[in-house]
Formats: sequence, C-alpha cells, structure tokens
Amino acid sequence: MDRGIGSGGAFAWFFQRISGVFLLVALLAHFWVLHYVSGGDVTFQIVAQRLATPIWKTIDLAFLVLAIIHGFNGFIMVIHDYIHNHNLRLVLVSFIWIAGIVLGLLGTITIISFQAPAGGGL
Amino acid sequence: MNTVFKIYRFDPESGRNPRYQYFEIDVTKGQTVLDALIEIKAHKDGSLVFRRSCRSGICGSCAMQINGLNKLACETQVEDLKSKTVTIDPLPGFKPIKDLAVDMEPFYDKLRAVLPYLINPDSPPTDKERIQSPEEFKMIELATSCILCGGCTSSCPSFWADKAYLGPAALVKAYRYVFDTRDRGYSDRSGVVNNKHGLWRCHTIMNCNDACPKHIFPTEGISLLKRKVVEEKY
Ligand code: FES
Repeated sequence: MDRGIGSGGAFAWFFQRISGVFLLVALLAHFWVLHYVSGGDVTFQIVAQRLATPIWKTIDLAFLVLAIIHGFNGFIMVIHDYIHNHNLRLVLVSFIWIAGIVLGLLGTITIISFQAPAGGGL
Repeated sequence: MNTVFKIYRFDPESGRNPRYQYFEIDVTKGQTVLDALIEIKAHKDGSLVFRRSCRSGICGSCAMQINGLNKLACETQVEDLKSKTVTIDPLPGFKPIKDLAVDMEPFYDKLRAVLPYLINPDSPPTDKERIQSPEEFKMIELATSCILCGGCTSSCPSFWADKAYLGPAALVKAYRYVFDTRDRGYSDRSGVVNNKHGLWRCHTIMNCNDACPKHIFPTEGISLLKRKVVEEKY
C-alpha cells in the first residue's frame, strides 16, 4: 500500500503542543499587560515605549516566531489531511513555507528596528 | 410496533443509482436491527444484501450505519432507537459492493501494515508461557477486545479525508502490540505509525469512541501511541 508522503510527523505534532502552550500563556500575558498593567490606556505612546525596550523586543520576537510557525504548521497539517496529489501538495507546502518566512522576516525587521519616537506620538 | 426500515440499496450490475427502499415490519420487543433485516430478506425482498455471522456481537461483520451512527446491527434493539423510521446505510467511507456490504479489503490492508502479531526474537521459556502481570495486561486489555467491525475507522472524518490514513482500528491494533510487555516489535512498527498517513492524521475528533461497540476508546490508545513515538524520538 502506498505510504507515499513518507514517515515522520512526530516533531510537527510535538512542536504544535509546546508552542500552543507557550502561545496560550503569552497571549494571556499580552492581554493582561496591554489592558491592565498600563491602566487600560492603549495609546501609541505607551505601546511604543514598551516595544522599544530589549526585553519586550525579545518577548515579542518569540511570540511572533512561534505564532507564525504554529499557524503555518497548522496549515501544513490541513494540507496533509486533504491534499493527496503529490505535486499540488508540494506547491502548497512550498507556498506556506515562503509565506511564513516572508511574514516572519518582515515582523522581525519591524520589531528589531523599532525605536520609540522622540517627539511622542505620530 | 410497526416500524419502517429505510434501507440503502445499491446494485452495481443494474447500473442504477443508489436509492432507498422502504419496508414496514411489525417489530417485537427485543428484536434487533439484524433480526429485522433477516426478516425483510426472508419475507419481503430476498435480494437484500448485508453481512452477518455470529448474531451476538463477536464477529464484527454486521457493522452498519443505523440512524446515522455506526453500530452493530445485532447488538442494536429496534425499540431502543425510539424512531418510527429506522434508516440503514452501509458503513461510510468504504466502497459499497452491494446494498449494505462494503469492500473491507483496504481496511484489512492497513491492519496488516501494522504487523498485528507478537514480535519477539527471544525464544519463549520452554517450561512456561511468556508471563505478564495483571497490571501489564490491563494496559492492553480493552484493545485486545477489538472485533474488527470497522465501525471506528468508518466513522473517522480524518479517514474520510485521507483514505490512506491507517485509521483508529489499525492504530489500536498497533497500540495493542506496542504496549504489550511481551512484544519487541516497536522498531518494526514505528515507521508505519509515525507516518503522515499514520498517527498524525488523528485530530482527536473522537467519533471512533462513540462508534466502538466494545467501548475501546481508540482515541486514548492513539494518544498514548503518539506520546510513545515522541518519547522514543526526543
Ligand atoms: S453478526 Fe457478528 S457482530 Fe453482529
């Protein structure tokens, strides 16, 4: 019988669990910090100042990378669920990889290069 | 009590589309769906095709979809269904051969793929059998009671989407041997279960748990097997 698309899949599954737990905690922390720690004021000024600090850059970077991999890993699982034509699957999975890497890079550049505006606000 | 049986009919030779045929019979207390089918075949339409053998929930040949759920016809009393019309379809996801009989061959292929027998290169002790403690047996006890009716695999949306997916029945069989303390065949089976058509297509939908007439809870076995594969690898 054709067991075609090959062995493996354990890591993808395991990673999805681990990143899922991280994202759940990170998301709750994110909401909490955003809506409670800063007194409920979600202004550009406050957010920008926080995002300019190295520690928040690190946290947000981890958040970004894990969220993207988690999400796109999920897409790949759906593709493996439903797409059984080898070529089509190759195209779609490649597309997912490229889209994930591009989005990840854009986000990374944004986070790393971000500086709090001196004059306050836009 | 008069009950209408709405039965899926399909005859590949006539070339006609599948259709439903209605039969009304007087159901007595305690009569099972299988009894009703046998009565219909005997007195109303001898051309009706369905599988059955033991009539007591042992052989697994009478699994079919009854009022939308996969069940054993011989273990389902018509009275318990509490419906005036009982709809009977073949097991979904398998290719119908005729009426309620489906092609189970792909199902058996997958079972064979997981090597459903004890693998242990060490020769057994000569004076006694290979010993297993009651606790060790408890781990696999439920899984050993599978009667291979196919109800679980046929109820699984992952299987509907990917016909090459091993499915709960074969995975439970793999679990039954991998977690058997007398077995040494994990490395032979791991490639089959740790596969994109294997364990990872299970998204814990749990239809199989509802379908299993022996209450094996395949999802639990599959989840333990997933964990085992991850532990072995990382
Ligand atoms: S006839 Fe054997 S299980 Fe129903």
